[in-house]
Amino acid sequence: MSMTHLPYIAAAYGLTIGLAVLLGATAALRLRRARARLAAIDRPARAGRGENR
Amino acid sequence: MTRKTRRLWLACACLMGLGSATALTLNAFSSNIVFFMAPSQIRAKPPAPDRTVRLGGMVVAGSVRRQTVRDTPVALFDVTDGQAAVTVRYEGILPDLFREGQSVVAIGTAGPDGAFHASEVLAKHDETYMPKEVAEALRRSGKWDPRYGKAPDAASWDTMTVRDARRDAASPQHGS
Amino acid sequence: MNATHSLVARTGAVFHRYANPGRFLRLGARLQPWLTWPALALSIAGIVWGLFFSPADWQQGDSVRIMYVHVPAAWLASSGYAGLAVCSLLSLVWRHPLADLAAVEIGPVGAAITAVCLATGSLWGKPMWGTWWVWDARLTSVLVLFFLYLGHIALIRAFDEPQRGYRAAAILGLAGAVDLPIIKFSVQWWNTLHQPDSITLTGAPTMSTAMLWPLLVCTLGFTLGFAAIVVARLRAAVMESRIRAALSARRGRGRAAPDSAHDSDVPGGAVA
Repeated sequence: MSMTHLPYIAAAYGLTIGLAVLLGATAALRLRRARARLAAIDRPARAGRGENR
Repeated sequence: MTRKTRRLWLACACLMGLGSATALTLNAFSSNIVFFMAPSQIRAKPPAPDRTVRLGGMVVAGSVRRQTVRDTPVALFDVTDGQAAVTVRYEGILPDLFREGQSVVAIGTAGPDGAFHASEVLAKHDETYMPKEVAEALRRSGKWDPRYGKAPDAASWDTMTVRDARRDAASPQHGS
Repeated sequence: MNATHSLVARTGAVFHRYANPGRFLRLGARLQPWLTWPALALSIAGIVWGLFFSPADWQQGDSVRIMYVHVPAAWLASSGYAGLAVCSLLSLVWRHPLADLAAVEIGPVGAAITAVCLATGSLWGKPMWGTWWVWDARLTSVLVLFFLYLGHIALIRAFDEPQRGYRAAAILGLAGAVDLPIIKFSVQWWNTLHQPDSITLTGAPTMSTAMLWPLLVCTLGFTLGFAAIVVARLRAAVMESRIRAALSARRGRGRAAPDSAHDSDVPGGAVA
């Protein structure tokens, strides 16, 4: 199969997919890290509160 | 709550003020915002010979003459907006989409001989998108000649599939 | 005046109900898979369809396939900014904490998609028009949109005190909305090199259905993807602000007497 203007098409799709993957991956990583940190902070805080009461 | 209402009105008022200011500005600069001038405009008000202008319009069918002067291809063609036509002279390689009936924008100066000397020619394609086979079928059936203007209304072909078009092309008694 | 008063109050109440960050975290967690997986499936399907199973254009050849990424990116660039403008209004009028966080998170995603729109348009313009760039009304107004996004990103992070950044950026976000109708109607109001819209709300599309379908699938996929990324970033941002609040509360508690620990028992209370 041969496409006309292949370099332009490849560049356009490559750029779009590359940027989408980059945005998606950073968002997913950031969400995972935030969730883990929040869980780590919440757990000892709750435990501490339980002892106080 | 009244403070929120006041803030909402304030935001609306600011937005309307900004909007009308922008509209007035754009309206004032409207002639500078247009990307190109039509041949009839250039004919009516010829620009100064040293001023670079952009000329936009349709390439007249049958007007394209190609020559080679000292190894550079030279093209002469007429550009029209339906009311007037201007002859354009361009040295160099024309864009892929250049053809008779295509809209183009030529950037250059109006010469003293009445011809337009273009330093750059851009092809302007329209908003119709159709498969090659459909265009071929329309042309074969005599419904449309791309050299003489825009494609017929999309309702007449936008459900045509590539397969339909191939079948039509195969049966030769289509064009009445 | 009374009617508008109560309308404003009621609208505010509705937004407050759904903009409660705790409620948003629960809603977002439930919504996320319904955004992410359809977005991936539709985007991949649309791209494969557009690249390999849609016809070439009669005059543009295969370069018309750039449309399947360029046009959704262009639509999203504008609608993303419309979302930013709505957040700005919510922030200015109702002082909404979640709207501020959303504005922070929409900015970079919108700027990225606008960059994609400009770059793919350039890659399409070179083989078709014969130029990478022209200063016509459509292209210039989209470039202005890109700079509006960049300005918003910079402004909202420019102040030490976040609230001041939110205010300033919201004003910019709302004022910049003036550019949206200019982008939309530029191809009708002025002569441009860019062709008019093929798909409008009022008329039949001037496009073969064989090209229209992959374009719509791509658009739906990209839109869901945009929403999925923004929701994920916003959830992360709400969690991060809770983490910050919890850490500062704990630091405060550490300094205070142990008995007063109950009273300051508001981890993330500032935003939650």
